[in-house]
Amino acid sequence: MIDLDALLECVTTTSCLVTQTTSGLIVGMLLFLVAAGLTLIFGVLKIVNFAHGTFYMLGAYLAYTVFAITGSYILSVLAGGLGMAFFGIVFERFLIRRVYGANVLMQLLICYATVLICDDLVKIIWGPDFYAMGMPPEFQVPPLFIAGGVVPPFYLVLISVALVIGGGLAMVLGLTKIGKIIRAAAHNPDMVSALGINTTLLYSLVFAVGGMLAGIAGGLAAPVRSLTPGMGFSILIESFIVTVIGGMGSIGGALIAAVMLGLIRSFGTIGFPLFTEGLMYIAMIIILVLKPSGLFGKEIV
Amino acid sequence: MREKTATHLGRRTVLAASAGALAMPFVARAQANPLKIGIQSIFSGPIALLGASSKGAIQPEIDRINATGGLLGRQIQPIYRDSKGQPQEAARVARELVNTDGCEILLNAEASSGAYAVQEVVRDLGVLCIHTTAEASSLTADPKLRAPTAFRSARQGVHDAIVGGSYSAKVAVAKKLTKWATCSPDYSFGRDTTAQFGEFLKHFAPDIEITSQSWPKMGQPDFTEVVTKILQAKPQALYSAMFAGDLSAFINQGNAYALFSAMQVFVPAMGDLPVLTTIKNMPAGIHSAARYLPTFPDTPVNAAWYEANRKFNNNDYPTNWSWECSTAARFMEAAVKKAGSTNGKAAAAALEGLTIDSPFSTTGKITMRAEDHTMIGYAIGWGTTVPKEPFVTGIEPGDWGQITELETEWKKKNGYI
Amino acid sequence: MGRMHIWRDIAIGCLVVAVLAAIPSLLPSKAFQDFVIRCASMALFATSLNMLVGYTGLSSFGHGMFFGLGTYSFALLMQKTGMSLLTAFLLTLLITAMTATAVGAICIRLRLIYFAFVTLAMQMLLHSVIISWVGLTGGDQGLQGGIPRRTFAGVDLSNQYNLYVFSAVMLVVGLLLMRHIVNTTFGTSLRMIRDNETRAAFLGIIVWRVKLTVFVLSAVFASVGGMVMSLFVSGAYPELINWPISGDAIFAIVMGGVGSFLGPTVGTMILLLLNDVVTRQTEYYGLALGLIILGFALGLRRGVLDFITERLGGRPAGGIS
Repeated sequence: MIDLDALLECVTTTSCLVTQTTSGLIVGMLLFLVAAGLTLIFGVLKIVNFAHGTFYMLGAYLAYTVFAITGSYILSVLAGGLGMAFFGIVFERFLIRRVYGANVLMQLLICYATVLICDDLVKIIWGPDFYAMGMPPEFQVPPLFIAGGVVPPFYLVLISVALVIGGGLAMVLGLTKIGKIIRAAAHNPDMVSALGINTTLLYSLVFAVGGMLAGIAGGLAAPVRSLTPGMGFSILIESFIVTVIGGMGSIGGALIAAVMLGLIRSFGTIGFPLFTEGLMYIAMIIILVLKPSGLFGKEIV
Repeated sequence: MREKTATHLGRRTVLAASAGALAMPFVARAQANPLKIGIQSIFSGPIALLGASSKGAIQPEIDRINATGGLLGRQIQPIYRDSKGQPQEAARVARELVNTDGCEILLNAEASSGAYAVQEVVRDLGVLCIHTTAEASSLTADPKLRAPTAFRSARQGVHDAIVGGSYSAKVAVAKKLTKWATCSPDYSFGRDTTAQFGEFLKHFAPDIEITSQSWPKMGQPDFTEVVTKILQAKPQALYSAMFAGDLSAFINQGNAYALFSAMQVFVPAMGDLPVLTTIKNMPAGIHSAARYLPTFPDTPVNAAWYEANRKFNNNDYPTNWSWECSTAARFMEAAVKKAGSTNGKAAAAALEGLTIDSPFSTTGKITMRAEDHTMIGYAIGWGTTVPKEPFVTGIEPGDWGQITELETEWKKKNGYI
Repeated sequence: MGRMHIWRDIAIGCLVVAVLAAIPSLLPSKAFQDFVIRCASMALFATSLNMLVGYTGLSSFGHGMFFGLGTYSFALLMQKTGMSLLTAFLLTLLITAMTATAVGAICIRLRLIYFAFVTLAMQMLLHSVIISWVGLTGGDQGLQGGIPRRTFAGVDLSNQYNLYVFSAVMLVVGLLLMRHIVNTTFGTSLRMIRDNETRAAFLGIIVWRVKLTVFVLSAVFASVGGMVMSLFVSGAYPELINWPISGDAIFAIVMGGVGSFLGPTVGTMILLLLNDVVTRQTEYYGLALGLIILGFALGLRRGVLDFITERLGGRPAGGIS
């Protein structure tokens, strides 16, 4: 169950270090995109979106279909993102808006119902089979060798795209007017609406962005992952761990935590092959107990 | 009920009568005590394909039986239920199918964990039950777990391990592959099959060494860290017990790292049409068992069954589960006919040792072995993949003489005999 | 709360048991008995969770860990040792109480959503341990081989009717005990903590001690539900300790009503009925169930029993402020 020798050997050889680090990064960065939406929605609306995994799933399926029709990977990722932005607005407008201020368990119930419905809709529309988009032709190239480690170019692209999106999001939130409004709304929604800002529109926007991020992640991952009804479930659990560790509402925290989780996976599989999942839960418990608001979260009074 | 007198034949009466006459056979049969059969499987979640393809294989068999007068003169009425893949739900559904819905026979298309739970229910209820998709060996091999009226018409893990071990050892000796890695889903069936495969591999080629083992979780979205771990271990050969969607993801992620050109790869579940047709850039030369292929056995009856099954299922491909379920329905039909009854005890006695004609055997015959209630003689073999149809070529059929001999040894070693 | 109330509740409880015990002679449906057994197990579990959620304002997402601990600990004690059912039952209560004390001591330091998440993480950790510890628990295949010596006070519980009556008695006794607990001064402290923790502390309530006590008590009742389930399935399965089981209890109390003592029981019956009926009708029961739940949640915006109580002009006893 525990193989510390192998772990030690891996961290002392460059090739292993490089390969496992990049594989941790790739797992982490896609997780970050999903978790960023989750944490943004919580930060502003104080809503825990338990249906977030469904956004990821629908994004992937949408991307799959668009790719099958157009053959363009870029278009398919965009379709996944935009489609889920729209779905996010619909979800917020017709379901979640009705339970603002209700207790968190009622929100959980609404999200659970949505997950059930969407999983079955996927089964009706696409069927119960699993799908694979397949690697787009432009990425069907042999892997690169960096310092003895193996790195597929496609994954480098994924990591960069995720970083650019994450950076863009941080810039929008930090520098633009709308970003300031969103941050202000997270702090004090009453004040924002007293200033004459349309919070209804703002909340829709936040859900659109959150949905878009998950949809993009689904689309980006579609070439290498399997599409099945219910595929959002495991992503949901992991993004929760990321959000909690990083601090609910903190985008930067989500990035750090997602990468951390990716690395726990990639090195855990070498050192603790049968208990990798357990490691993640232990990490989560330790962080919560030491700093309940997470690594970068603000204390909630 | 008062008897109707039909002395005045109005136009309406005539119309109604003729409509009734047309519907007569159907109505008559529907009223004459249909034979209810309970079919439970996983119809939701990531493995919903199991339920879909089981239903898609059992229903045409039932339609065929009903069209030719039914079973024992009774029309079969199937009742399909979802267990969601949860053992306790599977047990409940099985009880309910028999106790409430009045099913006389169970066709149990559950994964192994559900099958174990249903087995206990069947032991209590004493109805005829055929496990159609559970491959875990101990279900029927272990006399403590075996139930008097429960049978398995599915591959048995240990059969695949023997044939796989023998085939892989031959390749290993020819290509001098001594350093092996394994990568299998972390659940009991994955661990058992991997251990059995390793056991028989070493039996046939003793100097093989397994140097690295990975155990990803089932349904894990990303296997990249496992792919890279295998690359680090630099084995000459890799064995994986992954299947369905997970396998497809693993192949796609392995492709990105050119994993499949770095070593010889042995994946028993590869030779199944949904996997073969879903993966877009299938690497050539993967060694795989023929789970179900229209070309193995390469006979007209198999090809005809394949065509008919695809037609019935909107052109979807049949799976390994499809042929197993189809065979289960045929075993059920033959056993009930022979026993002249659906009574659990009588039908079980009839099914023991029963041999039926089957498209899914290289000899054309499949037998339900009497002593341990599992079937033998089905098509089993290994070949290598090619990127397009027929997808797997050079299939070497397993030798049933060797299989049963080594199986007996294995049973003795495990204290089953 | 007067003495009268207690006697009235006990009388109602006895009546319910008597009626349930008589039903099978009129309606010989095994499925009905199965349904009541499952209901008893889940209702005990859901009501115990509501002591945390509805009465103390602690939303736990990981309460299923104690339900699952009950099934595993009881089944293992029965299988691996020669002790009697009663001893195994009592020992499981003790094991659960001790585990809950340790887990609770860590978890109750946290508040609101963080409490919810840390309890969830604890449950998932316990689930991973059970899955990984194949030698003891059978891993993902669950604990097989059945539960031996299922006799309690000379009654054979492997007989379905006996187990049915036993479960009904367990449910009624469990509910009576829990009702008594929330109606004492201790129960009043719980509600004060729920409504305003700071004020409760000012009034001399030692908040952490009360929270820990209710956490342990609710865990113990959850494990009783788990033991009933373990007797029903004659074993233990990892799904019984996985996080959807916590979800089931949460949905039961939200659907039934967090503010009414019997809300979780009603919610459990609704959910189990929906599950059993809808799965029989359609292959797409997720779709159907989802739409029904949405209808309930958006239409009533509160649990069924809370809705009825409010309509009748009453004030719910519990509830989240």
